[in-house]
Amino acid sequence: MIDIAADIAGVLVQAVLALGFAPLVTGIIRKTKARLQNRQGPPILQPYLDLQKLFRKGVIIPSTASWIFRATPYILFASTLVIVLLVPTLFTPVPLHWAGDIITVVYLFALGRFFLALAGLDTGTSFGGLGSSREMSIAAIIEPAMMLAIFTVSVTAGSTNLSTIVASLSTTPASAVNPSHILAFAGLFIVTLAETGRIPVDNPATHLELTMIHEAMVLEYSGRYLALIEWASQMKLLIFLALLSNMFFPLGMATTLSPAALLVALIAIAGKTIVLAIVVAVIESTNAKLRLFRVPEFLMVAFILSLLALILYFIVGV
Amino acid sequence: MGPGAQTISQYIDILAAMILVTAFLIVSSRSLTFYVRLFSLQSFFLAAVALLVAIGYGEMHILTAAILTIVVKVVAIPIVLNKITDAIKVRKEIDFTINVTVSLLICGGLVIVADSVAQPILSAQTGDTLGVSRVLPASIAMIMIGLFIMVARKKAVTQLIGLMTMENGLFLSGLAITYGMPMIVEVGIFFDILMATLILGVFMFRINRTFESISMDTLRSLRH
Repeated sequence: MIDIAADIAGVLVQAVLALGFAPLVTGIIRKTKARLQNRQGPPILQPYLDLQKLFRKGVIIPSTASWIFRATPYILFASTLVIVLLVPTLFTPVPLHWAGDIITVVYLFALGRFFLALAGLDTGTSFGGLGSSREMSIAAIIEPAMMLAIFTVSVTAGSTNLSTIVASLSTTPASAVNPSHILAFAGLFIVTLAETGRIPVDNPATHLELTMIHEAMVLEYSGRYLALIEWASQMKLLIFLALLSNMFFPLGMATTLSPAALLVALIAIAGKTIVLAIVVAVIESTNAKLRLFRVPEFLMVAFILSLLALILYFIVGV
Repeated sequence: MGPGAQTISQYIDILAAMILVTAFLIVSSRSLTFYVRLFSLQSFFLAAVALLVAIGYGEMHILTAAILTIVVKVVAIPIVLNKITDAIKVRKEIDFTINVTVSLLICGGLVIVADSVAQPILSAQTGDTLGVSRVLPASIAMIMIGLFIMVARKKAVTQLIGLMTMENGLFLSGLAITYGMPMIVEVGIFFDILMATLILGVFMFRINRTFESISMDTLRSLRH
């Protein structure tokens, strides 16, 4: 009985932390960007206020839309929330570690993306279809890159289960510093920029029709539907930052559930996430968005880096 | 293998991976100034590998080679190349014989080929306490990627960068198999490379003045 209660508590803690802190990460990135551009910028807590406002507003549904348009926000939000429960953020193993491994995570992302692309097509506007087609063609390149980067870490740890990977790396931290891990980290970082719609690939702050990808798909959404989609994409950013920091630098990860270890883990993950968020903000401020036809080249670099990482693992045989 | 040697061999592995990454970045980019910067970085990593080998085996002549690499390849040649690109006002490699995406995939394949070529040599290697010979696949891959850059890119500056990448690969494979070549050979090679860059630079400048292009396609039409 105590085990089950502890598991439920663990699940709840993870879900609440991810739901609560996801808008904060976005706020930090926006504030850093604003400061780098010599602007005051909105307060760090602005994303929370935005979500609150959107939840109170009414929903407008296009007359041509089918049930897919109404179901998509919930599917996207739910699938992202499930991923949150599978990725170790504070402690390992996570309570639901038996429920799915890293491949499940990749395909839960794909499920959300699939429905979002359908919803973009569903409204029948030309922008929605444009966004969907762009999103899917980009996804076709980043998915293999992401898989290869993750496989590199998996072969080192000897498992595809995220909890096992993080546990084996946090017991032998020195094994994390090897060439194939560094390359896989670089590959996964580019994948993160692409997956979360950050600047060299997509611009999260614009509604300029020619350049937008993610924003084009969700153009018709309003009210609580838009709030759910925004919240899900903020969680997605948090998940990717947590994956990057915990799969490659699992320092401070709690392996027991003692309060002291959990506190250390909370501080460690907060520090690592904030550092990565600031790096993302710096990249966004110092780079221009790539032309759409150059994007596949950029993503191919991620694919090749991940491929090299895997080849190097077998060449060097660390 | 002592703990010190193990740390050194770990650093060498990481540096070899970085060298390979710079070669891939050269293939993936278009800007000539970026090529030069990457080449300088690549040579810097190479000098660091040489330095580590020198420390690990206590061989003084490799130390000289490391210092020469920094002076010649990290500082002198990039300055010369930057002067050339400024003078001929060519900033970008525009039309490729093979586009970037396919180039990257081909180079990924070249790494696999290099590994299978290097394995028989590696299995014959004994008495290597630092594990330097493990960088042999990376060095052979560098030679092939350099050759690929020379074949697949049209601008003379880029082809020169390809040649330099090949040379860096040769130096690395020299380190991997025999822990560096004899001193006199090493000095000769560095002098050669510097002179080649200077002569090719003057040459490119002249070609550009006469034909208003450094594209090799334009030169080829001279035959008719």
